[in-house]
Amino acid sequence: MASRRRMLLKVIILGDSGVGKTSLMNQYVNKKFSNQYKATIGADFLTKEIQFEDRLFTLQIWDTAGQERFQSLGVAFYRGADCCVLVYDVNVMKSFDNLNNWREEFLIQASPSDPENFPFVVLGNKIDIDGGNSRVVSEKKARAWCASKGNIPYFETSAKEGFNVEAAFQCIAKNALKNEPEEEIYLPDTIDVSSGGRQQGSPSGCEC
Amino acid sequence: MDSDPDTNGAPEPQLSEDELRLSYLSLEDSRHVPQGVRLERNGSLPADFYDAREDIKPDDVEASPPRMVTGGREGSSKGKIGLIEGLEMDGEAPPSPSSSGYAGERGSSGGSSGTVEAADGGERVLHDDWDKGKQRIDEDDTSASWRKRKKHFFVLSHSGKPIFSRYGDEHKLAGFSATLQAIISFVENGGDRIKFVRAGRHQVVFLVKGPIYLVCISCTEEPYEALRGQLELLYGQILVILTKSIDRCFVKNPKFDMAPLLGGTDAVFSSLIHSFGWNPATFLHAYTCLPLAYSTRQAAVAILQDVADSGVLFAILMCRHKVVSLVGAQKASLHPDDMLLLSNFILSTESFRTSEAFSPICLPHYNSMAFLYAYVHYLDVDTYLALLSTNSEGFYHLKECRIQIESVLVKSNVLCEVQKSILDGGLHVEDLPVDSSLRSGLPCPHPSQGRAGPSSMSDIGGPAGLWHFIYRSINLDQYVSSEFSSPLNSSRLHKRLYRAYQKLYVSMHDRQIGPHKTQFRRDENYVLLCWITQDFELYAAFDPLADKALAIKTCNRVCQWVRDLENEIFLFGGSPFSW
Repeated sequence: MASRRRMLLKVIILGDSGVGKTSLMNQYVNKKFSNQYKATIGADFLTKEIQFEDRLFTLQIWDTAGQERFQSLGVAFYRGADCCVLVYDVNVMKSFDNLNNWREEFLIQASPSDPENFPFVVLGNKIDIDGGNSRVVSEKKARAWCASKGNIPYFETSAKEGFNVEAAFQCIAKNALKNEPEEEIYLPDTIDVSSGGRQQGSPSGCEC
Repeated sequence: MDSDPDTNGAPEPQLSEDELRLSYLSLEDSRHVPQGVRLERNGSLPADFYDAREDIKPDDVEASPPRMVTGGREGSSKGKIGLIEGLEMDGEAPPSPSSSGYAGERGSSGGSSGTVEAADGGERVLHDDWDKGKQRIDEDDTSASWRKRKKHFFVLSHSGKPIFSRYGDEHKLAGFSATLQAIISFVENGGDRIKFVRAGRHQVVFLVKGPIYLVCISCTEEPYEALRGQLELLYGQILVILTKSIDRCFVKNPKFDMAPLLGGTDAVFSSLIHSFGWNPATFLHAYTCLPLAYSTRQAAVAILQDVADSGVLFAILMCRHKVVSLVGAQKASLHPDDMLLLSNFILSTESFRTSEAFSPICLPHYNSMAFLYAYVHYLDVDTYLALLSTNSEGFYHLKECRIQIESVLVKSNVLCEVQKSILDGGLHVEDLPVDSSLRSGLPCPHPSQGRAGPSSMSDIGGPAGLWHFIYRSINLDQYVSSEFSSPLNSSRLHKRLYRAYQKLYVSMHDRQIGPHKTQFRRDENYVLLCWITQDFELYAAFDPLADKALAIKTCNRVCQWVRDLENEIFLFGGSPFSW
């Protein structure tokens, strides 16, 4: 239990396999990049402490596997997420087309209380490849899609070169925080002796 | 466990008539041990004593490599769990199935295992002086020291947000916490429930309480049931502070971060976890009283009864973790576990010591959904009064009650008597009355062991090599435990004995093949004897070389002794505060 008031934000990273989810996370958390592709099995978990507007946050990053065979893990993983990061490869059209599926799948599985305003962030990764010559998804197209989904913030990144990664995660933290509900006072019931005192079926009126 | 060579013509103790009002433990029939459980025909007849070797189910989870046991279909999800990486257990070879059936305390005896358990530290005799609060805040799951800890406790939310960790900073352990949630939720997704995972010498025990997940990772060789019971208490302690209404916060907001609501309560949880190693109340589900003259305790009961009649739900006078007196309003009963959690909460919260305090608390067994209000005041350095009311504005009334109670307690000398009792201590095995039949006319217990003779047995501990005992009265929900004395003179040895008792408790109360009546075990550390009747449970530890017939006779003595003293060591309340 924190004595200082710190916040923990659960961040889920989703996207097709091979778009660079793990690399982005590694660049962000460990400042490292490897060209070798190692498929994530199930999910990896990393934590990163950040400071934002004089507050200390811990990002609990859930780096999920992109392969379809892991999709059954969905509900277990998505529950209680504060922010969802959708990643695609600007050089692979299919990975961009699939963003919609990832987003909808997340909203179904996580069933957040306010799906319209749930904070997503979209990252177009691998902009460094071939000097940008093999790129098939234009920034304009990506931004248009983000705008159509309720103005999702969009970043173009290179996990390899560390480009824009820090900025993207700052935005992720900011958005997760923005969505935080107002602090309410936790006030459970008091025992009412006149109605027996002992365990009751369903007490009413929780102000938590 | 070496079974006692009980074929060498063990004497049948002659029971005196006046002792027959009690059920009696005897050696009868011990040579012809039936396999399985023999039921006692009648509680008032001599209990047949038999060696319980066959009754101890081999620990069926111990022999196999890492394996998952789930609620409904055992191990049904095995294999798929491999999808989840990150929970790296020490990949040690599983221990060989113990031929003794009592793998015992290899892990917890320290030294051999090379692992550390900080609360073990040193040879502290007093349990009060351990470091309160969070230990090793700087550690996380990447530290070698963290990974070597023998017993971890974690609490997390169903979204994987950390709530409490015994060691290390919760936020630094966020990734580890996420891993635990992933494992639990993954099994849940399959319509199943994970109970525990065995990985080498480590056992990972899971307890799911709605949106709150509790996990213990331990290599102390404590049985699953015992660790699960500890997780239940940990959960109960959360409820004491927040009530079960906390569940609704998660319904409203799955992202709910519960940790801030428990701010400042680290010491409460650390203290509870520490008590799993020294307080038998944590597995006996009973409380213990400070020994007091009957009239002294009755004086305290009388004054508490007065305030209970004036609208106080429970009035509890305690000295450290022992009850001096306790009174409940009409029909209100207090569960021993609630008392344990309440007293742990009070004792581990430093601010209660400095001034009178008024705090919302929940008694989970009384009503887990709602708060009561506790007025807490220390009358001296050890003795405190807790007055529980349902009135959130009852402070001034309770304060007046306290002033009234305090003046009566001072006038009637109760507080002095309490202090005196602390100094005198409780029951000492050396003081166990010994009759002539125990002293003389008996063969030298173990001539083959090269011992000098019977006298060497009584040099340390009580008669017949009795080292320690716990007597639990079933009807009263109370137990009495003897004081530790030589050779049990270090906290490490105390903890080892408690864990042995705990194991005994679990094996005696086995749901599938139990409950049992008697058990006699001998290993390199002790002879352990357990005897359960309708009225009481007796756990006794003897010198490992103790003679079986003598040990049994001594247990009968202990029971008689406890009954002779029952007015002083137990609380017989006028009101039905007990189940």
